[in-house]
Amino acid sequence: MDDEDLSPAEMMRLIEEQSAAATRRLQPDPLLLYAPWGVAWMAGFGTFFLAHGLDGRPLAPISWQLALAVLMGGQLLAGAFLFWCARASGLKTRGVTTQRGMMYGYAWFVAMMAMGLILSRFAPMIPRDEVSLLYAAVSMLVVATLYMAGGAVWREWPMFFLGVWTAVVDAAGAALGPGWHALLISLLVGGAFLVTGIVLRRRR
Amino acid sequence: MTLPELDPVIHAQARLRVVATLNALPEGDQIAFPSLKDLLAMTAGNLSVHLTKLEDAGYVEITKTHKGRTPVTYVALTRRGRLAFEEYTVAIRALIGGEA
Repeated sequence: MDDEDLSPAEMMRLIEEQSAAATRRLQPDPLLLYAPWGVAWMAGFGTFFLAHGLDGRPLAPISWQLALAVLMGGQLLAGAFLFWCARASGLKTRGVTTQRGMMYGYAWFVAMMAMGLILSRFAPMIPRDEVSLLYAAVSMLVVATLYMAGGAVWREWPMFFLGVWTAVVDAAGAALGPGWHALLISLLVGGAFLVTGIVLRRRR
Repeated sequence: MTLPELDPVIHAQARLRVVATLNALPEGDQIAFPSLKDLLAMTAGNLSVHLTKLEDAGYVEITKTHKGRTPVTYVALTRRGRLAFEEYTVAIRALIGGEA
């Protein structure tokens, strides 16, 4: 297979094609990275919004338990899907990238667990209506912070800006109240993740 | 004008593909042999032969380890290998420029 007859131009094309093919397989598909979360939040926070309405009057006969189930279930599905995709890609590497990914993954787990514990202390002290907002706003703050950090770790500007955007919308929504928060997160954050995934995939 | 000399270790289609693929791996990462084989669509025997030549030249580092009882082989480009690939690419570009 040692074809020494290829012209320099052909060798150059070989280098470019092979490098591009390898990079494509080695890097995660941005659509699968961002879109599942976008869909999960659009559906979850969308259901929350319908259950709560802007001023506390429900827009649809949905219990908050059902809304919570849709939100948690959607996030669980998105996470499981991502995990499955990572395994199915089939390429096994080890080293810096794997360690980075592992630490980042654990950071999510630890941050979410700690948040749950901290908030569970304060939840009984505040009006019931505000409890769901407290959990939603702080968990989205953790999401925002970890996306900004992830952008810094991988020098991925889209990831960083998604984090910034999530923090801004989260803070604005929390200031406006539970209904607004759910509506804004669903449309502006869920939508942003979905669109980012689609745009980055198309650019590939 | 003198033409740049092409590194004979890399200047073979199959090995060039191997090196270009390994170069796409971030520095500090290693790839498992079966995954590399999969990326290149080469037979294990063929890939082994080329990896040995690259290892002899000091371009590739091969680490043999175990996961449980199964032996796993990891492959990575050495710093020297990365440099050689970079120089090769520069030389090829110069040649193309010279042709035009």
